[in-house]
Amino acid sequence: MTSDASRSPDPVPAPTPTPTPTHAITGADGGPTGIGPRTALAALCALLVTAPACLLSVYAAPQSARAGIAWGSGAAGLALCAAVGFAAWQLLAGRRLRVLLAAQHAEADALRDGTLRFAEETVPALVTRLRGGASADTALAGLSPAPSDPAQRRVLGTLAAELHRSETARATAMAACATAAGRAQALTTSMAADLREMEHQHDDADVLGDLLRLDHRTAQTGRLADSIAVLAGARSERRWAKPIVMESILRGAMGRINDYRRVRLHSTCTAAVDGDSAEGVMHALAELLDNAATFSPPTAEVHVYVEEVSSGVVIAVEDGGLLMDEAALGRAQKAVNSGAVAPDTRSAARLGLTVVGLLARRHDLTVSYRPSAHGGTGVLLRIPQALITHPHPDTDTDTPTRAAAVREPRHPRHVQRMRDVQGILDVRGVEDLQDAPEVPVVPRGADEPQAEHGGAVRDEESGLPLRRSVRKPAAAQRPPATPPAAQPREARSPEESGARFAGFRRAGRERVDGPDGADGPDWQGGTPSTPSGPPASARPRPEEGAE
Amino acid sequence: MTRPGRDEVPDRLYTLTGGRSRADTQVFDLVTLVVGACDPAPGMQSEHSAILRICRAPTAVVELASDLDLPVGIVRILLSDLLAAGRITARHPRPDAAGAGGRLPDTDLLQQVLAGLRRL
Repeated sequence: MTSDASRSPDPVPAPTPTPTPTHAITGADGGPTGIGPRTALAALCALLVTAPACLLSVYAAPQSARAGIAWGSGAAGLALCAAVGFAAWQLLAGRRLRVLLAAQHAEADALRDGTLRFAEETVPALVTRLRGGASADTALAGLSPAPSDPAQRRVLGTLAAELHRSETARATAMAACATAAGRAQALTTSMAADLREMEHQHDDADVLGDLLRLDHRTAQTGRLADSIAVLAGARSERRWAKPIVMESILRGAMGRINDYRRVRLHSTCTAAVDGDSAEGVMHALAELLDNAATFSPPTAEVHVYVEEVSSGVVIAVEDGGLLMDEAALGRAQKAVNSGAVAPDTRSAARLGLTVVGLLARRHDLTVSYRPSAHGGTGVLLRIPQALITHPHPDTDTDTPTRAAAVREPRHPRHVQRMRDVQGILDVRGVEDLQDAPEVPVVPRGADEPQAEHGGAVRDEESGLPLRRSVRKPAAAQRPPATPPAAQPREARSPEESGARFAGFRRAGRERVDGPDGADGPDWQGGTPSTPSGPPASARPRPEEGAE
Repeated sequence: MTRPGRDEVPDRLYTLTGGRSRADTQVFDLVTLVVGACDPAPGMQSEHSAILRICRAPTAVVELASDLDLPVGIVRILLSDLLAAGRITARHPRPDAAGAGGRLPDTDLLQQVLAGLRRL
């Protein structure tokens, strides 16, 4: 269609077909506007004037010269007529050309306006509609000044089809990304819960260390999944049931970056962030912390300060790393402010900042860069007042208050452990402690440490009956618990004492009866708060509790 | 094993201990009694101030772990930090044995008691 347009110099369908200039100029033979007749008329007028003049001059001339004069004047008259006719023709053709030119100008202007409108209004409107999710046909039908030019129509049709196709492909890819990220988020969340559970289960320092390392990796993976979800436009982030106190926000953020050990928190802020936005705030802060840690020397610390202001809470992240110049600060600020996936999000840092920008837009956060007082770069993250709550010190989730308020063990593991050591703990009385306030701390430490790692050896050293040393190491932690069992007798009721002895005796018998009967320190197992409990329930406890 | 909703706070345990999984000191076992030596100060790690608040009365490590809902290993690390800073004291709930040098009753004596009990 474009070839059509280029082939014809006059692509606009003109309402009245006008002759081209070539026709007009060569149209002496008579066009519809009648240049030829007018020229002929002019020539005729000239002939009418010259013919009598010729006749008159021939008549007035002497007889001898008449023939010559007749020829001469006739020729002159004819020449004059031809000249007049030619002049008239030229005049008329010129006038005609001027009119044509003006018409052509007008047409060209109209055409230019139409093309301009096509480029500036029609196409953008179409693109907007298509980006908004409209189908190609709907978008085309909805265009209010539909172009009349068939060429433009075809351009629009092709454009709409292509855009719709690419838009669909993009939306599909984004949705797939978002779904995958959401699954990854769910996986890491449940994995973190599993790890937390395992951390409760295993007290061995080596196992705990491994679990903590895994936990850290999982948290970083979770942040990555969160970032992908944010970039894909998903809103699958975790929502917390309760407001999250600032300390947890900070630690939750720093736990998600690789170099969290270099982060130093300086906060006395007791405010909490709304549960729906807490995850976004933590994620944005984690990205900022990661940036700060990545772009500062591996030994430099990253400092986090929290300040409550009238408009909310400001978290300042200061690193002592490389000073960003004005341009770099500007770029970072731009990346953070854009709130859209910028075309140059190639590097990981930019990607992080883009995520921050998207999160900031979503949660109404303000992020600003500035040179840091620590010599590096500082970034301020302002959380608006609308997201801030001030938990009541007695009723909230804050750990200290929670700890003071809840004295019931909540984790089954804790319940188990409490039951295990109940016998030892209830011999403790405040009087006991006050009786012996000067008891040195060290003695316990001196013989206790190996009980956790080298139980069998310790058994012998602590002078306990040898049967305990053949036990698996897990049971070796019992020793510290054993002596107090015998100690508080005077403080107990006779029934309790009797029950204890019963347990003690049963333990001894079982040991005699068979080797399997001695697999738990039952003389200890009789001491818990359920003194008459069956051995079967008492026996496994110490092993579980003594790792 | 997953308990949705259980993990109620976003801070991970390694951030509480700075990545350590082993206490600097081996003073603490499950039943070591901890007594606070000072009051919590603002700006302190919340677990530290919680420990100090709970330990106004002598509290066993296992109780602390239960109250804070933290693994005992983590609590030990927190306690060792506090102990190093002189903010708590620790002792075993067996005053007289500890006072006698921390030794347990004589093995022979225990065995004699055991033998006597068996004859009951």
